[in-house]
Amino acid sequence: MAKIGVFICHCGENIGAKIDCNKLAATIGEHPGVAVSVEYKYFCADPGQESIKKAIRDNNLTGVVVAACSPRMHEATFRKACAEAGLNPYMCEIANIREHCSWVHTDPDMATEKAADITRSMIEKVKRNNKLQPIEVPVTRRALVIGGGIAGIQAALDIANAGQEVVLVEREPSLGGHMAQLSETFPTLDCSQCIMTPRMVEAAQHPKIRLLTYAEVVSVDGYIGNFHVKVKMKARYVDMESCTGCGDCITKCPQKKISSEFDCGIGKRTAIYTPFAQSVPNKPVIDKATCTYFKNGKCKVCMRSCQINAINFDMQDEFIELEIGAIVVATGFQVQNNAVYGEYGYGKYPDVITGLQFERLASASGPTFGKILRPSDGKEPKTIVFIQCAGSRDPSKGVRYCSKICCMYTAKHAMLYAHKVHEGKSHIFYMDIRAAGKGYDEFTRRAIEEDEASYVRGRVSKVWPKMSKLMVRGVDTLLGKPVLIAADMVVLATAMVPQPDAKEFAKTIGIAYDEYGFFNEAHLKLRPVESSTAGIFLAGTCQSPKDIPDSVSQASASASKVLALFSKQTLEREPVVASNNEATCAGCWGCVLACPYNAIEKKDILDRSGKLIKRVASVNPGLCQGCGTCVTFCRSNSLDLAGFTEKQIFAEVMGL
Amino acid sequence: MVIGYKPGTTADRRRPHFIRTPEEADQLVLDSACITNLSGYLVSEGLLSDEKAVAIFLKPDGIRSINILAAEAQLNIDQILILGFDINDNQVTALEGEKVEEFATLIESIKEQAPDALKNPLLEKIEGMTPKERFTFWQKEFSRCIKCYACRQACPMCYCRRCIVDCNQPQWVNTSSHTLGNFEWNIVRAFHLSGRCVGCGNCDRACPVNIPLRLINAKMAQEVLGSFDHFAGMSHTQEPVLASFKKDDSETFIL
Ligand SMILES: Cc1cc2nc3c(=O)[nH]c(=O)nc-3n(C[C@H](O)[C@H](O)[C@H](O)COP(=O)(O)OP(=O)(O)OC[C@H]3O[C@@H](n4cnc5c(N)ncnc54)[C@H](O)[C@@H]3O)c2cc1C
Ligand code: SF4
Ligand code: SF4
Ligand code: SF4
Ligand code: SF4
Repeated sequence: MAKIGVFICHCGENIGAKIDCNKLAATIGEHPGVAVSVEYKYFCADPGQESIKKAIRDNNLTGVVVAACSPRMHEATFRKACAEAGLNPYMCEIANIREHCSWVHTDPDMATEKAADITRSMIEKVKRNNKLQPIEVPVTRRALVIGGGIAGIQAALDIANAGQEVVLVEREPSLGGHMAQLSETFPTLDCSQCIMTPRMVEAAQHPKIRLLTYAEVVSVDGYIGNFHVKVKMKARYVDMESCTGCGDCITKCPQKKISSEFDCGIGKRTAIYTPFAQSVPNKPVIDKATCTYFKNGKCKVCMRSCQINAINFDMQDEFIELEIGAIVVATGFQVQNNAVYGEYGYGKYPDVITGLQFERLASASGPTFGKILRPSDGKEPKTIVFIQCAGSRDPSKGVRYCSKICCMYTAKHAMLYAHKVHEGKSHIFYMDIRAAGKGYDEFTRRAIEEDEASYVRGRVSKVWPKMSKLMVRGVDTLLGKPVLIAADMVVLATAMVPQPDAKEFAKTIGIAYDEYGFFNEAHLKLRPVESSTAGIFLAGTCQSPKDIPDSVSQASASASKVLALFSKQTLEREPVVASNNEATCAGCWGCVLACPYNAIEKKDILDRSGKLIKRVASVNPGLCQGCGTCVTFCRSNSLDLAGFTEKQIFAEVMGL
Repeated sequence: MVIGYKPGTTADRRRPHFIRTPEEADQLVLDSACITNLSGYLVSEGLLSDEKAVAIFLKPDGIRSINILAAEAQLNIDQILILGFDINDNQVTALEGEKVEEFATLIESIKEQAPDALKNPLLEKIEGMTPKERFTFWQKEFSRCIKCYACRQACPMCYCRRCIVDCNQPQWVNTSSHTLGNFEWNIVRAFHLSGRCVGCGNCDRACPVNIPLRLINAKMAQEVLGSFDHFAGMSHTQEPVLASFKKDDSETFIL
């Protein structure tokens, strides 16, 4: 006989204000099989949980329904409480009368009636629940970090320093990401390269880190603790083992006019190249698209110049397979293409540049060795106009969100400019100054007060060339007057956007993304570094726009999640897995194809003499994630999901 | 064995016939009344288990069902020898080819014509109805259904050893002939056959109470063709439309 305990939670006012919990408890008390039906202010609090445990022991309950908030909030809490009272945790179910009822309805009587329906339907389900036992799966203690910017490097170092193995995959020829491109960094103005390069070297030399550069993840299979990852090693045409990084080949390469990606088009590079002088690893790659030999079949100058014969034009892409326990995604961001703003003339007038290009001009190791010079004529600009929110907070042409860092880096640019060109004058058009962060407001104040940046609150409507000047027309909304400035250079504080391939990449590794392509966290407030897929974590700007301190913090948080996972030999998995009825399976293999986790195998059924009778589908419980896709597909209704069996669901529906 | 047709009770009825010796060949007929899709007999329990070849008379729709049955691992195409024919204006013409792969171009051209071929004035009329009118229309049609499951028995795609309607723990599809049960059965059937039905009409002809099943079949075929560019029975390796996805599938209803 079923003896079900029903516990109706007020959730303070959340449920209690809309639903008459006393009445609900009384109604439910009459339902067949219900032994206890009580209400309480907060069942999730300690006294609430204790009362559930006491009721289980006193009444020998066979099942429990907690009518409360979403199971995503407290299912685990209540199941644990049940287990502590000696009831199998899977005999406890949540009836969601908050999100599904009190929050969305206005009429108290009808809401109370609906809450009774929801609760009854769960009681009917619980009556058919089975006692399930958790599944133990082994954990591979090796982490994969994807992306070698500051976030990826930090996560890799934290995990490796705790003694666990890491594979760090970066798709460019060198580690570093955007931070390697920056000149000085707000709010302390320390040199970006000087703090970044040592971390890059540390990561490359760490005995626990296997560094794979010029490499890309092509597929991820498996599940938390047991991922199988395939990585493509793009052909470098330079043997990593023997190359000493002397750079003779780079000096000799006849292709010298290729626009450098690292210098954002302001500097040039060769076809065989390292992105920058401090690259890690400091070994070049040949860019097939621009190399004379690959284009015309003749050249090989680099090969002849290499003293140790490290260059090999026959090299092919290679694939490596990795067994991985946890993944940290740190694939970073891109800056938006400003050509969308025709009125600013980016791409048309060479002296309209992006903030990132300005970083390269200001960088001591950049194409101008740290001198601020105009790309058009190499002259020092005397007046610079900075345009903030060039793309951010602009739903019509740019993106709706705030890129968070542009106010800060624009103030930094004005300061760097003042320090380098003493008589230089900077004007900054802004919408608001958003400088929340440790030492941030003080920093922007310094730009205004000490370095005399002139801030104009308003938007720029047009930029056009006149003689050797750029005329900037905007409006000062505080004075309510139009402004016209003759500038030598215009710097756009370009929006931070996801990597162009972010959505494709997310599909490849199986995580969720938002409308822009930033990767989704499992819960914005409570699980900000977990992705929606168990065992895959997020770090840095691939999740949302961030500065360096935030990227690093999130990377360390991800690392600690990975280390927590690696602290045990095995992992307890929910026993919510599918199984197949071999007698009725028609062997159509639809489920094999439909299963997103490749958890279903084909199995031969043999008779005693070993003759094949038929072939049927068979679910591997270690791989199954309990998504239920196969169950919905199977036409012969052969598959069923533990914890959500057809009988349970049917009873749940009929209970309504 | 050869699976073909023999005369039935009247001139426009033909029966399936199975022969095993050359002498029996005289018993076979082939004329414009041979419209039944015979491919379902191939998956009868044990028929193909001796691994011997079977020759079978098939129209293009039947040839497409061979592809589906093969794609769903129900038969091995190496065992099937196709005696292809087509009927146009009451004239029977032979089709070139023996192995199912040899009919690929023919099936390709049928797919090209499908958007027009699937059009039907009654279907358009139903689409023009309000949801309420449509419900009433189908409620009336389905009210005649006696749950004989002749449509299922006649369909070559309905090969499951246990059909979902035979499942009574729980009883998803109500067996009684009232509105709920009738809708449940006919919707399940439509869903299970979408992207698989070749439009042979076996079910429609089998229905003793003349429910226009062909309309449902045609509608579902239009849907999978329009939404997923899927045309049932293109090849013996075609993936089932409801168990596979392409990265560029439209996502009009998610988010
Ligand atoms: C103009 C400008 C100035 C800035 N100034 C400052 C400042 O002064 N102070 C500050 O705190 N912040 C500043 N920032 C912000 C700072 O650059 C970022 O916070 C930081 O670089 C983010 O690091 P990340 O590792 O998340 O991303 P990234 O630096 O973008 O690194 C991501 C890495 O992942 C790699 N990658 C991408 N996709 C793949 C893939 N599929 N497989 C393998 N590898 C992949 C990329 O090649 C790259 O190396 C500035 C930003 C800009 C645009
Ligand atoms: S979908 Fe169903 S019938 Fe087909 S193979 Fe899978 S379990 Fe068997
Ligand atoms: S429930 Fe079915 S489809 Fe989902 S993971 Fe398990 S076996 Fe695969
Ligand atoms: S559903 Fe009807 S028309 Fe379609 S394949 Fe089956 S029997 Fe033929
Ligand atoms: S053949 Fe007709 S009456 Fe019989 S079950 Fe099918 S639709 Fe109903």
